[in-house]
Amino acid sequence: MNTSDIAAPALIKAGRRKRGSTRTKIVLILALVLPGLLLAILFKLVPLVRAFWLSLMQTRGFEEPSFAWFANYQSMFRDPTFLQSFQNGATVFLTLPVWVVLPLIVALLLFQRTPGWKLFRAVYFVPYMIAPVVVGIMFRQILAPEGPLNAMLIGVGLAPLAIEWLNGPTSALFSLTAVALWAFFGLGVLTYLSGLATVSQDVMEAARLDGAGFWRVLVSIAVPLIKPVIGYWTVLCMSSMLIWMFPLIYALTRGGPGSSTMLPEYLVFITTFEFLNRGKGAAIGMALFVFAALVSAFVVRRMYLDGKGERS
Amino acid sequence: MSTSAQSGAFHPRGRRGSPVARSLSRWLVTLVLVVVAAAALYPLMFTIINSVKSRTGYSQNPLGLPSGITFENYIDTFNRMNVLRLLLNTIITTGGGLLLSTVAALFIAYAVTKLRMPFGNFLFLFIISMLVIPSQVVIYPLYETILNLGMGGSYQGLILAYAAFGLPMSTYLLVAYFRAIPDELIEAARLDGAGDMRILFEVLLPVSTPAIAALSILNFVWMWNDLLLPLVIMGGSDKTTLMVGIALLSGQYDVSIPLISAGLIIALLPVLVVYLLFQRQILSGAISGAVR
Repeated sequence: MNTSDIAAPALIKAGRRKRGSTRTKIVLILALVLPGLLLAILFKLVPLVRAFWLSLMQTRGFEEPSFAWFANYQSMFRDPTFLQSFQNGATVFLTLPVWVVLPLIVALLLFQRTPGWKLFRAVYFVPYMIAPVVVGIMFRQILAPEGPLNAMLIGVGLAPLAIEWLNGPTSALFSLTAVALWAFFGLGVLTYLSGLATVSQDVMEAARLDGAGFWRVLVSIAVPLIKPVIGYWTVLCMSSMLIWMFPLIYALTRGGPGSSTMLPEYLVFITTFEFLNRGKGAAIGMALFVFAALVSAFVVRRMYLDGKGERS
Repeated sequence: MSTSAQSGAFHPRGRRGSPVARSLSRWLVTLVLVVVAAAALYPLMFTIINSVKSRTGYSQNPLGLPSGITFENYIDTFNRMNVLRLLLNTIITTGGGLLLSTVAALFIAYAVTKLRMPFGNFLFLFIISMLVIPSQVVIYPLYETILNLGMGGSYQGLILAYAAFGLPMSTYLLVAYFRAIPDELIEAARLDGAGDMRILFEVLLPVSTPAIAALSILNFVWMWNDLLLPLVIMGGSDKTTLMVGIALLSGQYDVSIPLISAGLIIALLPVLVVYLLFQRQILSGAISGAVR
């Protein structure tokens, strides 16, 4: 995987074909490429390889680790917390349609140039700018039993719904997901709006003149036209569900009550830094990596097709 | 797919387009948008309001508007968690990570798109494919690597980590942008005797301000807001960032809600200011297509 090894001989070969200061060009290219390449290798690739290696080691606290083949993976699959963390992850994934559809509807409402749509767009993006850990602490107060959410529910006569949001196993996972959606929502609206901007207004207008209603325009015209954007947004939501929730869990629930809001990314952290079981933490990390890599591979593919040149 | 009343706005001259229905649907749409906006802003308002309540004022009236405004919580926060130091740490690490990641990405993008380097596309793919490695997965080995380099608990360690994690997206944005810049521009500068560094910084850089702006905002926001990397790399050192400080402050048992609210406002104010200043660039959608 080391590019510099592969690229170096080829550089020389390619350089020879040209007249002039070939050597300076090679030096220049190497100098330009090296900083980024080193960053990527040292702080991304090397840690990944080391994570895999560490996942094969038996570690106990600060003792010297010993090689243990796949013992960590075996113990991981027998660990109910690990199984529950992935089950919780699957439950969060079930809410994906809401993450995809809700911003789409709002984006379409804005797209029809409702008065003040620019202001609404600006307001909807504010939550995404706030640090997730800050969002988590804010919502710990809002979702508190005596907090404003329950006060409002009681106020409108929905007292039975005013529960301890962060203390029930189901309600805690639900709250965590809802808070994440709250923070991520505006980005979706923005993504859809930039997709819709490429759609010709005439098509929409023609449909409206034919008497097509909001839902009809949404399903029959907008969705087919911006399918790639919807696909991209879906992938983005999936990857956030896997690797974006850490600060929210840290601030909101710490994985509890029990392990009902334990997601794999948080379990890696706890196993490594609180239970000091680095080997097993790395093994859980590798399990998470499989899913995260599968999902983000779609993003990388899109980026590559967009940015690659015709030559070479 | 039946059409509801709110669909009226979509067919001004359609079958159900009576003036009453039309204005009714207009109002309904606006109402929906206002409710969503209120939901988006309420937590922020709630926190701001709480941050200016006194401790007793809050316990008497936790949810309503304050009877008087006090800034004692802000002063308390400054006393309890050395805000200025944390702010300085965050500025140094975010600024360093931002700068390093942008320069490294600029170099690679130039080599890949304008120098016709062999295996350029392969290098591009290699760099952006680093996106599949999230920090959570490699957090301990990353920390170990930084320790091995003798950079544990130091600014350099966190700056390099930020730069590495910001690199794939920065490289992608710049490569895609440089591809659209015609080579003639560079040839012309070369004929004028400009060297590569001058071409990169005096010809390409000025025309790619939109891309640089997009990636700087993007990187600024996530680096400033990040929790995991500084939490692990800085540990308990005094070089830790504002977000770690606020997370630790909120974990203390004797912290009142007005106090922590003031801390939250301090932590998110800089990002909010950046948002207000660069609203146009952020909302134009240049960034939305390219979020980590």
